[in-house]
Formats: sequence, structure tokens, C-alpha cells
Amino acid sequence: MAVINPEIRKEIEKYGIENFNACYNCGNCTAVCSLADENNSFPRNVLRNAVLGLEDELTTTIDPWLCYYCGECTSTCPREADPGELMMSVRRYLTTRYDWTGLSRKFYTSKKWEISAILLLSMLVMTLFIFFHGPLTTELTAEGGVKLNTFAPWKVIEMGDWIMAGLLSFFLLSNIGNMYYKIILKKKIRIPLKFYFTELWALIFNFATQYKFSKCEPKETSFFKNLKHGKYNYWIAHFLLMSGYVILFVVIVVFLSWFQTDSIHPWWHPQRLLGYYATIGLLVGITYFIFHRIKKDNEKSQHSHFTDWTFIILLLLTTISGILVHIFRINGMPYPTYYTYVAHLMILFPMLMIEVPFSKWSHLAYRPFAIYFNNLIIAAKDSKAGKKSSTS
Amino acid sequence: MTKNTVFPASYDTLVMGGGIAGEEAALNLADQGYKILMVEKDLSIGGKMIHLSKVFPTLDCAACITTPKVSEVARHPNITLLTYCDTKEISKNGGKEFEVSIEKKPRYVNEETCTGCQLCEEKCPVFIKDQFQYDMVGRKAIYVPFSIANPRIATIDIENCILCGACEKVCPADCIDFTQEAEMLNITVKSVILATGFKLFDASIIERYGYGKFHNVVTAMHMEKQLVPTRPYNEVLRPKDGKMPDNIAYVLCTGSRDATVGNPYCSQICCMYSIKQAQLLLGALPMADITIYFLHIRAFGKGFEEFYQQARAMDVEFIKGKIGRITEQENGNLILRYEDIEAGIVKEAEHDLVVLSTGILPDALPENLFSNQPLELDMFHFVKQVDELASPAKTSIEGVFVAGTASGPMDIPDSILSAGAASSETAAYLRRLS
Repeated sequence: MAVINPEIRKEIEKYGIENFNACYNCGNCTAVCSLADENNSFPRNVLRNAVLGLEDELTTTIDPWLCYYCGECTSTCPREADPGELMMSVRRYLTTRYDWTGLSRKFYTSKKWEISAILLLSMLVMTLFIFFHGPLTTELTAEGGVKLNTFAPWKVIEMGDWIMAGLLSFFLLSNIGNMYYKIILKKKIRIPLKFYFTELWALIFNFATQYKFSKCEPKETSFFKNLKHGKYNYWIAHFLLMSGYVILFVVIVVFLSWFQTDSIHPWWHPQRLLGYYATIGLLVGITYFIFHRIKKDNEKSQHSHFTDWTFIILLLLTTISGILVHIFRINGMPYPTYYTYVAHLMILFPMLMIEVPFSKWSHLAYRPFAIYFNNLIIAAKDSKAGKKSSTS
Repeated sequence: MTKNTVFPASYDTLVMGGGIAGEEAALNLADQGYKILMVEKDLSIGGKMIHLSKVFPTLDCAACITTPKVSEVARHPNITLLTYCDTKEISKNGGKEFEVSIEKKPRYVNEETCTGCQLCEEKCPVFIKDQFQYDMVGRKAIYVPFSIANPRIATIDIENCILCGACEKVCPADCIDFTQEAEMLNITVKSVILATGFKLFDASIIERYGYGKFHNVVTAMHMEKQLVPTRPYNEVLRPKDGKMPDNIAYVLCTGSRDATVGNPYCSQICCMYSIKQAQLLLGALPMADITIYFLHIRAFGKGFEEFYQQARAMDVEFIKGKIGRITEQENGNLILRYEDIEAGIVKEAEHDLVVLSTGILPDALPENLFSNQPLELDMFHFVKQVDELASPAKTSIEGVFVAGTASGPMDIPDSILSAGAASSETAAYLRRLS
């Protein structure tokens, strides 16, 4: 039996959306959506569940994660109920519902909580540096670079990285477990074991490419026409940002000894090339997103929740401080190097700790996993239907 | 009518608009002995109704109801009819009367002597798409607008005329006059009835429906023209290739109840006229499948629900779901994408003809029509009824009344009722004046 929670509308409205109750249930949004298909007909169903207060249906739905907010539904909605933003708000809501610690809900609904948590973690990093930093040597390397590894030996930093990575994985994986429970176990969907392996490619492929994002928006006939008319711009900007981020995350957590060196490699060295690609990717992506969020020139940048701004600003500051560390180090400026290095970590650490498991950045896991889970459900359904038709 | 013709300079009532509401109001007042001036901007009176096939829910012939009224208006001794005229300005003079200036547009044909014999039409060498037949057939540059037009007078479409003079040579009554110019008429009236009607929503605004781009996406008024007794092909054909359609879709709420195009209100007629057309089509094309895509069927009037149920019983398919997007295929068929609300699943359906049931928009009055006292409009730019419950025809200007769809969307019976109210209120007002 369906349980109705009349408070759900107010709860959802905390996550950004304003007027979705205006919906008169015509299905225009689903019909114009280029990602909706017979297996996942959204966004009307999600909006309808939110209007009716069907909390169970809302918390177990996979559909918001399959939406990439092209905004076509919002710009054509005859009631101006803003289904695109509703999907965005439900994604935020779901993030808080997957998070068992309750911190996510605090961060999403209270600026105070979010900012205090960032400051607290920043202070923690600073305190650790104050007490445990290495000697502030002004001596330079033979090439004229700063001896950063004397101030902050990579072995020590790497230990911190591993602890952080452990924490991140613990929170994120347990939240994904929770997501799996809600989407599949709770609904008693039986999935044959083999599909978990055969569909694994979807998880990896979509994590690496955001292929579905490129399918968003009504498209024209040819790839080049789409490219020319800017239909892929968001996807490309997002891809640059994402790839830059993933590269840096991997080299910092796994290959720090190779990445944080005192010696200055020539410009063509893979270490520097990778770093530069990642930095440019991040800068292009961030600039693109900030520009559109300020200009509000398309549907998906109309509404910016404060968590969107926190995330993108932290990312921007991390990137800038990272660039400065690099410039100061290769130009042999010890003190500026040390200070910006501490500042860099003071921004980086809270950003990762708060954004990845609890806030906007969690979508890096939820989106590919949602596609994976969705493929599992469809594969299971198809094989069941196939069996039925073969027996009958 | 030339400048020197004796033309009475004062009337009891000016009726703006010669549609069903204006006719009804004018006749009611004229029968009581009031002198009426009716001004129609088009070539013929009769409004939208004269172009319709049948009326809902009785399926009575629309022309059979409206043409007797049209003729009566044209012949009534107390009604002076001016067609092809624009009312430019209405201003209240010092007393209770209104000064009206009317621009009489040239027809280049003498209205007094033209008999409507159409010999000129036969001779005219210029072929143009016939706007009264939704471009389905051609007409000449000199033409009588349509077969049941009233007044039945030829007019030269000077934009397309090549000034060859063929009509002039053939006209037995010698009434072609290329020297005609627009002239201004100034008259005085004691009261005004606004019966300016409505215009239909321009479906090309909703680009994703492809109207104007895909040939086989038509409006309901276009379809209506294929169903009237004077229909051009005597057959229902789809525009692109002249094929007889056998799978027709109706898209309700095109331009109504849609905030993105600026009219969030219900047009009140589209559900019923679509159901009516569906039933007529089942008569014209007995083997055709007809699907009506609706949001909510609003069958609110007397006999409407039964009419709707009758359509269902006739196997017209009703699907709840707004059409999101229409795409054209190579063979001219159309793919309609929608969410089947009952199933909750997005679907695509193929149809060979799509009819957009376009809604009612206010037909904007000329700017600054009331020059020294503004006329209040409602939030959707219909004429505001300032006392809707007690005196529905009353407007913000004393002595100016509103009838029919000028005040908001309504169907034919309601327009006639509204015109009755307007004429009664006007009569009472005129009594009080004298």
C-alpha cells in the first residue's frame, strides 16, 4: 500500500525547486525528453510522486540519475512547473537519503553547517602542518627549485592521502550500498548473478565518458552538425573537467612519489604534460560552468543552489593554488611555495571530504552506478520476458 | 459608396463585428426599432461561424443557422451594414454620445451596382491561393470571397492585380473603378457593442509540432474546411500528396492551457469541436482510425458529455497525454511522441494526418480605439467585464457593451446568449438616455 507523506513537498523545496505543484500531469516533459524511453519514462513520474508525497517511490527511483538536465522539459512545460529543476532537486534529496550519516542533509539544507565543516577541516590541516611540518629550508635544488619534499615529505603526505582515500571510499561505498538497497533490494528485483559481470562495462564506460550526457538535448542528424551548433559543449567542458580531476586524483593518491618531486623535469616529461593537461582541463571546465551560472543563459544554469557554488569555488581555488605552488617551486621561491602548498591542501582536503561523499561531487559515483543498476534491472526484465515467451 | 451618397450621420448603436454575436445583438436591437450601424472589417459578415460545417453537440448545419441571420442583417431596414471597414477611433463627445471615425477600404468595385455575377472572376487571368479555403484551392485577383458571402460583391485584391483591365471590359454593370480610394466616415452613435470575436492561435509558434513545416500537420479550421458542404475537394485529403488519410490524430490544447505561449486559460471549444470533427470524419472516411490526444476532456455543456461518449462508442480513440514532439517521415507520415499517462510510459505513434486543435486568442482591438477614455482589458487582453455576474455585457466605459468571444472564450450558444444580454443591456441603456 502506498504511504503518503504530505511533508515531502516542503522537504523537496529545500533542495531548490519552487513551483512544481503547478503540474497538471500532461506528460509533455517526458514526451520532449531525449533520454526518456519505455524503460525509464521520466521526469513526469518523479514529479508526480513528489506532488503526491509518495516517499517510497521517490526514494527508490533511479530516474533522476539518468537525467542530465538539458532543460527542454522546463522550457516547454505548459504549467511552468520546472521539471528539470525538480529532477535536480530530487538528485540532491536522494544524495541526502543515500547518506546514512545524516551529514549530507545538513550540508544541503544549511549553509552554516557546510561552511563550518569546511573551515573545521581546513583548520585541521593547518594544525597538522603547524605541528608536523618539516624544516623551512631556503636552500634550493641544483636546478634552482624549492625542496618541497623537505618541508612536506611525500611519504608523510601520502600517508594522509591514504587515510583520506580510505575514508572517502568507506563513506561513498556504503552510500552506494544504500543506493543499491533502495533501488534494487527494497523493490525485490531479482537479478541473475551473471548480469553483474556482463553489465560491468556500463559502469566503467559511463564513468569514463559520460556517454549519456552527450545524448542529452534534442539532437540533429549528424555528429558534426551537433558539434558545430554547440550541442556537445556542456559534455565536452564536463569531460575536460572530469578527466583533469581524475588524473590529478590518481597521481596524488597513488603516484605521489612520482608526482611531487623536487627535481624539475623538462616540459615534455609525462609528469608535467599530464599535470598541464589536467590543469587546463579543470580551468576550462570551471570557467565554462561559472560563466554560464552567472549568465544564466540556458535552462540548466538558471538556478544555482548554494552547494553548486561552494563546489565550483572550492574547485577553482584548489586549481589556482595548485598552479601557484608549481610556479613558485620551479622558480625557486621557498616561502611562497610552502604557504601556498599548505593553503592548497587546506582547500583540497575539505573539498574532497565534504563534496565527494556528502554533496555535489557524489554524482561521480551515483551516476555511473545508476546506469549500471538500471542496466541490471533491464537485463533481468528482458531475460525474464524472454524465458516467459520461450516457455509459453 | 461615394462621398456624396446620403449617409445617415447618427445611429443608436454601433455594432463592431459581424459574427454571430454581432448579428444577434444587432437584430435584437433593430427589431425593437433602434437604428444600428454594423461595421465589419472583413469582406463578408458571418464571422467564423459561416465557415463551419456542423455545430456541436447537435450536429446541426452551422451555415443553416447563421446564413438566415446574415441575410436578415443585410436586409433589415434598421440596420446599416458597412463591410471591409475599419473602425479607427471612438471618442466620447461632451454629452453621452460617441464620435466614431471609420475607414472605408476601397474594393475597386462599385458596391451599389455589383450584382455578384462573377463574370469578372472568369476573365481575370491571375490565380492566387484562396485564403478562405486555407490555400487548398485558387481564386482570382478579383473575387467574391466565398460562395455564401454576404454582401455578395466582388473585390479586387489590388496587391495581386496586374491591372490588365479584363474585368472592366467584361463587367455588365460597369462597376469596376480603379480610382477608388480609402475614405473616412464620421458618424455619431449613442452606444457601442463590441462583438469583435477572437482569432485562432498561430500553431507555428510551437515549433516542435512542425506546423508550417510538415505539410500533413494542419489546424482544425483547415480540417473544418474539408468537412463543410462547400468543401473544395468533396473529399478529405491530406495536403502533401492528396492521399486519403486513414489514421488521423488530434492534438488538443495546442496553444491553450500553455503558459509558454502566453495563454494559460482553457479555450473551451477545442475538446468539443475535435470530438465533432472526429464524428464527421467517421462519416467522411468510414475506415479511418481517429485518435484524440487530450489532457482532460472538458465536456461541460448541455449534451456535451453524451456527445463525447457517443464519439467513444463510435470507436474514436482517446489517449491521455500531451504530444511533446512531432517528426516527419519521408512518406509524409508523422511520428507523435507522447507519454501515455495511464501507462506512465513514453510512446511513439505514427499517423498520416495530424490536426492541431488550436485555441482562442483575443483579437486585439485597434490601439487607442477609445481615444479619450481607455477601455479596460482583462489579464489575457479580452475586453474586461466589469460586473460579470450582475451585468455581463458592461465594460469600463458607460455606453459600451461587449458581446460574444470579445469578452473571453465561449462556444456558439454562449456567444448568442451573451449577445442577447448585450442587446438587452444596450436597449435599457438607450431607454434611460432618452
